[in-house]
Amino acid sequence: METDRKIILLADTEQSQQDKLRDFYTSFANQIKDKGLEDAVSLVRASDIGIYGKGFAVKILPRGIVYTGVKESDIGAIIDASVKGQGTVERLLFSEEPKQIRIVLRNCGVIDPESIDEYIACRGYGALKKILSGMNPAGVIEEMKKSGLRGRGGAGYPTWMKWKFTRESQGDRKYVICNADEGDPGAYMDRSVLEGDPHSVIEGLIIAGYAIGAGMGYMYIRAEYPLAVERVKKAIGQAYECGLLGKNILGTDFSFDIDIRLGAGAFVCGEETALIASIEGKRGTPRPRPPYPSVSGLWCKPTAINNVETLANVPYIIMEGGDKFALIGTEKSKGTKVFALTGKVRNSGLVEVPMGITLREIVFDIGGGMLGDKPIKAVQTGGPSGGVIPVDQLDTPVDYENLQKLGSIMGSGGMIVMDESDCIVDIAKFYLGFCVEESCGKCAPCRIGGYQMLNLLNGIAEGSGSLEDLDKLRRVALAMQRASLCALGQTAANPVMSTLRYFEQEYREHIVNRKCRSHKCRSLMTYSIIQDKCKRCRVCVINCPVNAIEGDREKGFFIDVSKCVKCGKCFEVCKFQAIAKE
Amino acid sequence: MAKLTPKDIDSKIAAGLDESGDWIKVGMSTCGMAAGAGEVFSTLQQEAKKRNLEVRIKKCGCQGMCYAEPLVEVHCAGLPDVVYGRVDKETAIKILEKHISAKTLVNDNIYEVRTRRQA
Ligand SMILES: Cc1cc2nc3c(=O)[nH]c(=O)nc-3n(C[C@H](O)[C@H](O)[C@H](O)COP(=O)(O)O)c2cc1C
Ligand code: FES
Repeated sequence: METDRKIILLADTEQSQQDKLRDFYTSFANQIKDKGLEDAVSLVRASDIGIYGKGFAVKILPRGIVYTGVKESDIGAIIDASVKGQGTVERLLFSEEPKQIRIVLRNCGVIDPESIDEYIACRGYGALKKILSGMNPAGVIEEMKKSGLRGRGGAGYPTWMKWKFTRESQGDRKYVICNADEGDPGAYMDRSVLEGDPHSVIEGLIIAGYAIGAGMGYMYIRAEYPLAVERVKKAIGQAYECGLLGKNILGTDFSFDIDIRLGAGAFVCGEETALIASIEGKRGTPRPRPPYPSVSGLWCKPTAINNVETLANVPYIIMEGGDKFALIGTEKSKGTKVFALTGKVRNSGLVEVPMGITLREIVFDIGGGMLGDKPIKAVQTGGPSGGVIPVDQLDTPVDYENLQKLGSIMGSGGMIVMDESDCIVDIAKFYLGFCVEESCGKCAPCRIGGYQMLNLLNGIAEGSGSLEDLDKLRRVALAMQRASLCALGQTAANPVMSTLRYFEQEYREHIVNRKCRSHKCRSLMTYSIIQDKCKRCRVCVINCPVNAIEGDREKGFFIDVSKCVKCGKCFEVCKFQAIAKE
Repeated sequence: MAKLTPKDIDSKIAAGLDESGDWIKVGMSTCGMAAGAGEVFSTLQQEAKKRNLEVRIKKCGCQGMCYAEPLVEVHCAGLPDVVYGRVDKETAIKILEKHISAKTLVNDNIYEVRTRRQA
């Protein structure tokens, strides 16, 4: 076998231009041939080697040496040092610690999610075995306390405290619930965990049940996740067959059952009290807290409700020890967080990073930088309850407290990267519009306040806003924050407040200058024909749905602004870029 | 399956994941399926059979690199573990012919190379 052959990978770490890489590849191949080495190495073009913005990269295997910023003139030196010899070219050497840590996603993409054997082979159910053969519930809670794990569903409440309170509450029955409703637009971390490693969440839920003294657990999964539901169902079935669920688990006197409940797609049903109502078969609306679910939850019994990602951390903490987990992260935020990185970033996908990493590292070192190398404007975190973080705050370490200070929240892990083509008013409108749609309507501040704020935003986007509207927005937001029944209403104004905080100038441009610099707000755009470029082909005239383009081939054509509905059709169809959009 | 005892769990964990032989894993979560992982999976199965290749074709969850789905990880004796991305039917066949049979890596679809495990 050709095991002694060296493998040389070539990659373009800038925005991939296959042509340039092909030329580089050819030069490399020629020089290898010139030096008579073609039998000793194989040369391969890679699309991505996890390094970005550093020119051409060369990785040599099996040693794993990586060079970056490699020019054609460096090829000879690299071949002599590291292909023929065992040395390195120091000045081009690249080394970096991996930025991602995999705890929650430890098995995702590694094991077959439909095989309990593979999960067990990766230390799965080892934590359950460990607690059942020698840790009492108080010991489990103590371990969770050491770990410092906080809820990953949004609010960041310490998991050990929630478990302790539920354990100490009086009740003949207790329940645990896994919250897999995941309704934030753009977020799909929980779905990936359920689909890629369902047993880790099930094991976490069983351990939670043991710790608080519950005999029954529910997995509340949104019905829009059919594959997740299918895999969880299968996994629960396997766990029963193996005696890891049901009566006398692993031969002990601990018994525990799990059932699935499907959420019907209302965002508010992710809120814990609404979720509980939904499981009870009632309308999914929140109720005031206290009493908290830990005192009176499902069927008025003490209930601990935890997010998918929170639970997936639990088996790891029990197996490896809370102290080890607590080594990762910042003082008050321990462990890792999974984010769904999307928007104008080159590599959208799931990332799992230690708490305390900066947004800049996430976007540029892991996400590969901006699409098309455009300048970054802001990052949105926390979904409809969160806010935008402007570019000058990108170096802030990400943890619960810091994000809150910046006017956003950690949330469940949506992270949307924006560039200059994203209009701030439009973004605020989108998130607020989402909350208005999803408001349960039970309380007035949320129902009416949200609607009024959205009206004001629509006015601003259409050019009929006034500067007083900004104060009105702030006043209504405050009322919603203070008086809404649940966190949906209390936080619905966050995207508006945070954009006003950092981008008030852009709101003012919409109001005073009637301009949207990102060309997103349709009503504020004007179209005109650039006479020098116009070839008088009449394509725009034919395509205009409202006959707003007048004139003839001799005099030229003009757009009648009073008739124009700003549909943008002329802009699209003109072959000569003769339509100006401002 | 019979009920497990604590001892069974210990011994299964001690044995670890069976990654022997040559294998190919296809990411089959929602993001992968949406990008066409189902077709890639069945192509790999059929074409491997046609060519009498001894390679296990397995399913796995999402690795996180959703932008490059469908993702296919290949483990083949004598080569480093490679994750191929944006794999379609054509690339799937190339992976079998080049990577598994001829033991050379496939150009232009590599998204990650894991440093070689000592077998
Ligand atoms: C409107 C609204 C939607 C929510 N949606 C979710 C959700 O989809 N998933 C989730 O885990 N928590 C969601 N939460 C938070 C839950 O109420 C609760 O805090 C969480 O499930 C507790 O779990 P944790 O302590 O593990 O984070 C939502 C909260 C609100 C107000
Ligand atoms: S839905 Fe909870 S406050 Fe409106």
